Amino acid sequence: MRLPAELRRRGGADTLFGLLGLLGETMPTVAALSGVGRREPRPVERGLPLVVTEVAAAAGDVAVLRLADPASAPLPPWTPGCHVDVRLPSGGLRQYSLCGDPADRSAYRIAVRLVRDGRGGSAEVHALVPGSVVTVSGPRTAFHFTGGGPHLFVAGGIGITPILPMVAEAARRGEEWRLLYLGRSRDSLPFLDELARHGDRVTVRTDDEHGLPGPDLLAAYDGDGNGPQPGFAGGLAAAAVYCCGPAPLLALVREAARDARAFHAERFAPAPVVDGRPFTVKLAGTGRTVEVAADKTMLDALSDAVPSVAYSCRQGFCGTCRVTVLAGGIEHRDRFPERLRRDDEMMPCVSRAEGDHLIIDL
Amino acid sequence: MLKETPPPDNLVLGARDVRFDWSELPRHWVPDEPLATHLMNVLHLLLPAGERWFVEVFKQALPLIHDDDLRRDVLGFIGQEAMHAGAHQGVLDHFAAHGMDCGPFVDQVDWLFSRVMGDRPHLEGRRQTEWLVSRLAVIAAIEHVTAFMGDWILNADGLDAARTDPTMLDLLRWHGAEEVEHRSVAFNLYQHVDGRYLRRIQAMAMVAPMMFVLWRRGVRFMYAVDTELAGHRPPRVRDVRGTAARGVTPSLPHLTRKVLKYFARGYHPSQEGDTDQAVAYLASSPSARAAAERAA
Ligand code: FES
Ligand SMILES: [Fe+2]
Ligand SMILES: [Fe+2]
Repeated sequence: MRLPAELRRRGGADTLFGLLGLLGETMPTVAALSGVGRREPRPVERGLPLVVTEVAAAAGDVAVLRLADPASAPLPPWTPGCHVDVRLPSGGLRQYSLCGDPADRSAYRIAVRLVRDGRGGSAEVHALVPGSVVTVSGPRTAFHFTGGGPHLFVAGGIGITPILPMVAEAARRGEEWRLLYLGRSRDSLPFLDELARHGDRVTVRTDDEHGLPGPDLLAAYDGDGNGPQPGFAGGLAAAAVYCCGPAPLLALVREAARDARAFHAERFAPAPVVDGRPFTVKLAGTGRTVEVAADKTMLDALSDAVPSVAYSCRQGFCGTCRVTVLAGGIEHRDRFPERLRRDDEMMPCVSRAEGDHLIIDL
Repeated sequence: MLKETPPPDNLVLGARDVRFDWSELPRHWVPDEPLATHLMNVLHLLLPAGERWFVEVFKQALPLIHDDDLRRDVLGFIGQEAMHAGAHQGVLDHFAAHGMDCGPFVDQVDWLFSRVMGDRPHLEGRRQTEWLVSRLAVIAAIEHVTAFMGDWILNADGLDAARTDPTMLDLLRWHGAEEVEHRSVAFNLYQHVDGRYLRRIQAMAMVAPMMFVLWRRGVRFMYAVDTELAGHRPPRVRDVRGTAARGVTPSLPHLTRKVLKYFARGYHPSQEGDTDQAVAYLASSPSARAAAERAA
């Protein structure tokens, strides 16, 4: 391994880098020796077949399901904010927040609002009956409850599901907390009965009674906690805000909570493709051609064809998915710093072909 | 084999689109602490090349993974590391534009990662795979170090007391918090593809001394290019006692103790660091909150 000139000094090679060069020459051999006797990775199975043990109805077209191990084995542990991936009988994969008690290892509880004409799979969940079997993986969390109050929980409608165990945990720890629960009307809000035991720590705010929420929706919490207001000592600036609900509510709360000590929201899945036109991509390495539908990302199409394709953010800023384009115009939609991206590179997680065809180096 | 991922390893990992504005960054961003400043500036020298190397090696490891959860974690890890590299690169660019050209040192680091630790296209079959696995062991060892340094920076009240530049402190704590978030990924990946103790600690036996030597050189380099320190004698290793006593850097005994934990047979990264604290920081960090808003 020849040393580059800048690593030489006073006419001789730099000692450290000379040694590193030697190390570099021997390491692959050491690696081969270290690998003697290594066993190939064994496939790991993550899906857990669970049986529906109970289905109950809750306000607002919500079905509340309990899922348990068929042999009554304890389920994997979880913490407030966790969700599970549920593989439905049709093959669809849906994420639902766990809304039961983490201390109860005998079952998971999920609550699913029926979206009429929706393609989200909610109708399929509503069709499940005791005895139905679904495959569940997780629990994982993108909305981790960290503890350490005071907390202000804000939930919109079915967004109450991850918040329920958080509220219970905050209460159990004796931490200061408040819940603002929003919806169209009281009879559209599930779990009001369960929340009743928390008394005036819970404020219910409905559109039919109070009108649509505005930028001042958290103003009441900015008091000192001593008046008739529902706030707590230190006001909003002392609070960690946890918000779950529809996107417009989330935006409103994020803005209103700008001065809060912390703001937690579930991380979003990448936005759907807008204004996409279909195009084809040819993979120069294999000669394969991949069709990218108007409503699909090029990355999705590529990873169907080449499962080991790497990606990460799927929002066009991390640069992981970048590919080199050999022919065809690129419509860049990424947020990657332009000076770090060569002209012939693109981020297929968001960017598309300008025309009908691309040839890429893959 | 059925496997569960208990807390705190069940976080969904994702990159955050953070941006930093360095226009107001003072030369000694821990005020009156040039040694602490430059000790931490070495991060900017090493990490862009190092973390980009992580990304490349992890991308190559994807086909070895037979575990959907682990693959998801590795993909999340890759994006986080790519953003770390970019953020530290931004600081280097700022240095270069303000009369501290780190090029000569960075070239050496690039050479280290691309040549010494880099791909060996000529290797065939099993030798190629083992070169990959050994590098995964090296990354797992480095990730132990980044995790305990992340834990240190999240708890370094001394840096607040010293009125450290808030933007730089946010970069370091955002990075530290993500290191704590993903602290198990490289280890779990190594365990998945090999997992044998000897190979794991071999890697640390190489990584720890190498980091020490590079750090020492890096600090001396920073002192050499920092014109405001012209005439100062180059710092000695024992000077770190002072910065550690003032709480603006970790102490050498602390670092040594943490490194040694990796040699325990029952070591797992989840035993170290505090996920609650990391997630809480990311929910309060100005850069991470702006990034979350950008993504919404
Ligand atoms: S996956 Fe991050 S830029 Fe495409
Ligand atoms: Fe990192
Ligand atoms: Fe890391």
